[in-house]
Amino acid sequence: MKCYICAKEGKDTDAVAVCIVCGMGVCMDHAIREDVDLWEGGYPFPAEEMRKVLPRILCPECSSALRGD
Amino acid sequence: MAGFKNLPRRCLAEFIGTFFLVFIGAGAAVITLMIEKGAVHPNSFNMGIGVLGGLGDWLAIGLAFGLAISAVIYALGNISGAHINPAVTLALWAVKKFPGADVIPYIVSQLAGASFASLLFAGVVGMGAVTVGGLGATAPFPGVGYIQAVVAEAVGTFLLMLAIMGVAVDKRATPGFAGLVIGLTVAGIITTLGNITGASINPARTFGPYLGDLILGGSNLWIYFPIYVVGPVAGAVLAAFAYMYMAGD
Repeated sequence: MKCYICAKEGKDTDAVAVCIVCGMGVCMDHAIREDVDLWEGGYPFPAEEMRKVLPRILCPECSSALRGD
Repeated sequence: MAGFKNLPRRCLAEFIGTFFLVFIGAGAAVITLMIEKGAVHPNSFNMGIGVLGGLGDWLAIGLAFGLAISAVIYALGNISGAHINPAVTLALWAVKKFPGADVIPYIVSQLAGASFASLLFAGVVGMGAVTVGGLGATAPFPGVGYIQAVVAEAVGTFLLMLAIMGVAVDKRATPGFAGLVIGLTVAGIITTLGNITGASINPARTFGPYLGDLILGGSNLWIYFPIYVVGPVAGAVLAAFAYMYMAGD
């Protein structure tokens, strides 16, 4: 699989990952690794942030959407 | 069981949540009594609420409670768990879902929030809230005995706790519906139990108006307070154990 973003720019780069949200193949330069906070509990118990985080690989567009930019 | 963090913040959430429960919910009962003051009571079973609207009066009061509870659950449920009811806190502790060390601080916060709500409501509405509305204090209605009132409160709280266990505590529950379902459950319980015991199903909800009435010179109803402790706590604890048994936990 090739990097979709590089392909749009006319470059031919191998993808090293797939965006977990949109499925886009991304190369090392365009892959973004995000750690998503995990919460446990909630009504009728207090919700508490867990020590573990959920690692996610995203394309720049989905990463931007996740952060609300 | 493992404890939760930030007890002071959680206690503040319980204080605020119970404040709104009493200010909005018990406040609706006060306003209904003030609106219907002077109306001719059709029979001795009617003490004011229901003179003009029948059971619709109790439905309106029930919805005021229920919608306030829904708002509190959605707003504060992730912070403290939004028990806003000592019977719920004790029942969750009884089935080992809530740490024992947090029980007393939670109950103290709930009682304080309810009391502050009653006093502030009197401050906002005026002394009519005390002399006419009794700050929404609960008491058994004519013809309802002490034990009958305890049983009625236990039955109502049993249903409330059963709903909490099924829609919130059980991990199989569909997320997101707890606040709505529990608010509507409380509204339904109040519609039927309202003209029997006042439908407290919550010791804090009765404690606040009782203390407010005592401080501000209203009726002294403390002789009835055990009804609103024994009934709700027994009903909630029984429901929690019954659900755990039925669910196979």
